[in-house]
Amino acid sequence: MRFPLSAIASAIAALAVALCAGCAATAQSSGGARPLSAHPLPFKGRLAMGDPDQLPPAVAMSLAPNSRVGFMYREELSHEEHHPPTILSAVNPLIYLGYPMGEYTVTAFASLSIIDGDQVVGEYTAQSRITRSYTIYSQPTHRELDTEARAAVRKEIDEKLYADQGRVVATIAGTE
Amino acid sequence: MNPRAAVLVLLAAAALGCAARGRPFEEVKPVPPRHSVIYVYRPYSFFGSAIAPTVRCGGQSAAIRPGAYHAFVVPADKPISCYVETETADAVDFDGGPEIQYLRERIGLGLIVGRPQLNPIDADQAQSEIQSCCVEQP
Repeated sequence: MRFPLSAIASAIAALAVALCAGCAATAQSSGGARPLSAHPLPFKGRLAMGDPDQLPPAVAMSLAPNSRVGFMYREELSHEEHHPPTILSAVNPLIYLGYPMGEYTVTAFASLSIIDGDQVVGEYTAQSRITRSYTIYSQPTHRELDTEARAAVRKEIDEKLYADQGRVVATIAGTE
Repeated sequence: MNPRAAVLVLLAAAALGCAARGRPFEEVKPVPPRHSVIYVYRPYSFFGSAIAPTVRCGGQSAAIRPGAYHAFVVPADKPISCYVETETADAVDFDGGPEIQYLRERIGLGLIVGRPQLNPIDADQAQSEIQSCCVEQP
C-alpha cells in the first residue's frame, strides 16, 4: 500500500499545526493575568466582625486593634451535589474507564465593609462557584472545594480593595 | 414455602436488618452554652447498607447505620473538622460558632468497598430529611 507524498506532507503539516495549537492553548491558560501578590493596605483597621483566621490576606495584614477604622468581613458557603443513582453507575462500563460519577459544587459569597466611626467608607462583595466532578479513581473532599472557593473570593475582595484603596484613604483622611 | 418466596423473605429480612432502628429524631435541646451541634444523618439506602464507616467530628466518633443520625455536640469556640474514610475519604471543616450544622452521609460506588461522602446540607432541606432518621443506637 502506497501513500502519495503530498498526502504524507499534508498529514505531517496538520500534525505540526495541531501540536503548535496545543502548545499555544497551554501557554495561554497558564500565562494569564499576573497574580497579585498580597501586601498590606495603606491604612490600618480593627476587626469589627469576622474570624481573624478567615480573612482576605490584605485585610489580615492590615489589622490594628486600636484603629478607628473597622473591617467587617463575612463569608458564606453553599453546597450542591449531583449523583446519578448508584445502581446505574455500577452497571455503566464507562464509569470503570474514569467517566464522572457525579459532581460537587461550592458557591462562596464574601462581603467586606470598611467603617470609619458610623460611616461606611467601602463595601465590596465577591462570589465564586467551584464545580468538580468525581470518578471512581479520584474524588475531591469537600474541604478541598471549600478551601478553593474561599481562596477565590478572598482574592477577588483583595483585588477590589487594592483597586479602591486610594479613594478609601482619601475618604478616611477627609473624616479626620 | 415456595423457594422463591423464601429467598425474597430472606432478602427483605437482610435489608431490614441493616437499617437502623431506634427512637425517632429528637433535636438536641437545650444546646449547652458555648457549644454547637453537628447533625450527621444517613438516609436509608440499600446500596452500601452493609457498611457503617466511623464518622469523626472533633474528638468524637460514631458509626452511623443507614436510616440513622448522630448529633455531635462540639465546642463552638474553635474550628471543628468532620472526617470519614473507607477506600477514599471525605472531610468538612466548620469555623465554629453557635450555628447548627447538618451533614448528610452517603455511600457511593467504590472499587472494593462503598465510598462515604459527607455533604453539607442547608438547614431547611436537612430538617425535613432527618425526620425519617432514627437515633443511632450504640
